[in-house]
Amino acid sequence: MLDLGTYRDMMVKCSHCGLCQATCPVYQEDQLQTHLARARVDLIREALLDKALAPGRRFREVLDRCLLCGNCARTCPAGVRADEIVAAARSRLYGGKKHNAVRRALLKRFMRDRGSKGLLARAGRIAHKAGWLPEELPPPSPEPFEKRFRDRIHASGKMRAKAAYFVGCATNTLYPDTGEAVIKALTANGVKVLIPQGQVCCGLPALAEGDLALAQEVVRRNVSVLSACEADAVVTDCTSCGMMLKTKAALLLPEDDPLKPQALALAAKIWEVTDYLANLGLVSAPSPMAVNWTYHLPCHRGWTPTLDEAPRSLLGEIPETERIEMEYPESCCGAGGLFFLEFKELASALRARKIADIRATGARTVLTQCPACRSFLRTQLEGIRVAHPISLLAEALGG
Amino acid sequence: MKGLEKDLRRLVPKERVRTDPEDLRAYGADATYYVRRGNPDAVVLPETTEEVSKVLRYAFGRTIPVTPRGAGTGLSGGATPLKGGIVLDMKRMRQILEINRRNLSARVEAGVVLADFHRAVKKIGLFYPPNPQSMTVCTLGGNVATRACGPHGVKYGATGDYVLGLEVVLADGSVIESGGDVVRSSAGYDLVHLFSGSEGTLGVITKIRLRLLPMPPAHRTVVVACETIEQAGDTVTEILAGGTLPAMIEFIPQMAVVAMNQYIRPPLTTQGQAYLLMDLDGTPDQIASQADHILGICRRMAVLDIRVIEDEKEAQSYWTARSNLGAMLLTVMKKAVNEDVAVPRDRIPEFVRGIQALSATLTKVVLGIGGHAGDGNMHPTILYPEVSDAAEDEARATIEKVVRLGLSMGGTVSGEHGIGFHKAEFLSWQLGPTQMELLKRIKKAFDPKGILNPGKLWLDGR
Repeated sequence: MLDLGTYRDMMVKCSHCGLCQATCPVYQEDQLQTHLARARVDLIREALLDKALAPGRRFREVLDRCLLCGNCARTCPAGVRADEIVAAARSRLYGGKKHNAVRRALLKRFMRDRGSKGLLARAGRIAHKAGWLPEELPPPSPEPFEKRFRDRIHASGKMRAKAAYFVGCATNTLYPDTGEAVIKALTANGVKVLIPQGQVCCGLPALAEGDLALAQEVVRRNVSVLSACEADAVVTDCTSCGMMLKTKAALLLPEDDPLKPQALALAAKIWEVTDYLANLGLVSAPSPMAVNWTYHLPCHRGWTPTLDEAPRSLLGEIPETERIEMEYPESCCGAGGLFFLEFKELASALRARKIADIRATGARTVLTQCPACRSFLRTQLEGIRVAHPISLLAEALGG
Repeated sequence: MKGLEKDLRRLVPKERVRTDPEDLRAYGADATYYVRRGNPDAVVLPETTEEVSKVLRYAFGRTIPVTPRGAGTGLSGGATPLKGGIVLDMKRMRQILEINRRNLSARVEAGVVLADFHRAVKKIGLFYPPNPQSMTVCTLGGNVATRACGPHGVKYGATGDYVLGLEVVLADGSVIESGGDVVRSSAGYDLVHLFSGSEGTLGVITKIRLRLLPMPPAHRTVVVACETIEQAGDTVTEILAGGTLPAMIEFIPQMAVVAMNQYIRPPLTTQGQAYLLMDLDGTPDQIASQADHILGICRRMAVLDIRVIEDEKEAQSYWTARSNLGAMLLTVMKKAVNEDVAVPRDRIPEFVRGIQALSATLTKVVLGIGGHAGDGNMHPTILYPEVSDAAEDEARATIEKVVRLGLSMGGTVSGEHGIGFHKAEFLSWQLGPTQMELLKRIKKAFDPKGILNPGKLWLDGR
């Protein structure tokens, strides 16, 4: 149930080989051993299990300065899942009380209705207009995705598969264009899309703040809703939601939770949308598009091995498009969900490097599946389009 | 240490001087964490030679120990600050300053990560062969300081063979430049190669000039399954004696293949007791003739199976698995201690038999054997199914026997990891009292106060 105590054996499996240095986005910027999985895991054990170190301000910084991206876990030859250990440690240390009551109440509200309803969305728009929010947060869309699409959308032509669409908060509220493209690309390729009603936030923001109870609450909601849906697969456009549903959701529930088996079964059906379509194969031939594009690989990619290749191969089927690889497509953009609000300097430094890398390609379009990357990069890329890869495919399919 | 933090922050910007207990713990050890840890008093992250020089001048004046560190992947404890003091994390000095295509040379800062360097030179058709298995993260400075090597050693030699020149900050803070962009030099004592392998005990390496080669146009991976460990050892010697020099020949025991199979696609069958993983390079014609020759030898040796891997992705999965092997052993064992005795190549079969005989006498730990068989650098590895005092005693006694066995064959206590503290007591077994005395006098000449990485190479550190 993401109980830190159960991770002790895994913690001592860390051989301290240091190979996690190769893929940790935070370490790559900070270049400080303390901000690396092998040190974090030791410090967590010493502070929270062995009580050999008082968990003070610096300890909390070490704990918070982690994107939970899981790249270290994917790199670790000994199978130490440091991202889970960090999440469990936050839960133990903060117990859902990391921030003040107002921020907690806002988060709770947002997670339960994906920020698209009533006062919260209106307040968001007003705050945005007034310039009270960081420019990296785009204004909530006047018409959220869930207002435009509901229930089911039939496949055009012969139905090849039936997929439930998990619409993340960002797509629902900020980027309904992505959702529209998902529907277009799936249905055009013979996939009937079901949009289960009652889905809520995936829970990652709560997990990141160590609020296990809130994360469990939304996980249970989503598991019930998505499991009730008779679909061959559950598709998401957001790599972070995908990671949460595939690798973390079941993990959060206690062993005796009645929804645990369903959560595990659901995890096996989760797909990122480009990965899903690349795997299924296109039946609808995309029209030529004279577009050059580059691809930014989100940090939350370790949950499926083919995620990095999927958008590249899928969009490779659009005639006349040109892919220009940037030097480091996998390096972090700095956003990390809402991480950039807490660690501004780190986030800006990471972003500056990313922007330079993107500009060096000369591409006019940057594609990435992560809405946080999209909004964080967008403000620094005037004249360059930033979008989800599925949008380009949908356009080539005449969407 | 009173006032240390304040003093250091006058020399280096304050965010690059760390003294919080969390940071000090993070810098207490390298990959020998479970063997021994130190307690530094401060961590400094210099970005320039000048900053390194300032810190050393200060430390020299106050006789404060200084332990330089690269990526902390060392397997002999070279970067462990045994006597406290200052750890210098060199990773922020990470500029590739120049790649000179016309001179086949490069100039880099010490903190450049080896994989980044490989990538940069490959992009313009050049090749830097050393490939220690931590290459995705380890630094060139650390490689030079330990004379690291890796599987390419069999054909291309070790890091030391590629170092043309060094910028080094001496104990008192003075900066010297030794060697240059010339591929040969007969100008007096060869300080460049004295600093290579000195493990931070003679000075702090800040910049490196390296020799490069043209990138071989093609390569091909071959896997050979052997019926017994002995057969694998014999086959290596036969291949080398037959006049073919593969770019890499790795000796991998069955147990390791089982672990490696989580990376290898499709997984390897595990019917052999040992495997040889080889890489051939050159022009396609050269590779074809090397492959013919090796396949002929393997058939004559009646090995179980030979596979030439055509698919590049599949081949890469073998080498990734090989790189991860050390840490992967911990998925099946409680603890692993990796040794790196090297023996003359014609003694490999004999060494392997000796290890097998020793292994049969053990009850608390397991002794496995693998390594860079092509250059005689073997990695006998002590594996602990359970950790206990009795297991530790048996492990220590076994390591000693392995070292003595290697030395009795004209080998060396360390082929590539360095001495650090982990093998400090064995160094004198190899060198004898007269050479040890000479080493100590050299150390004294460079570091009269004994502040540079004390406790390494020999136990009292002076």
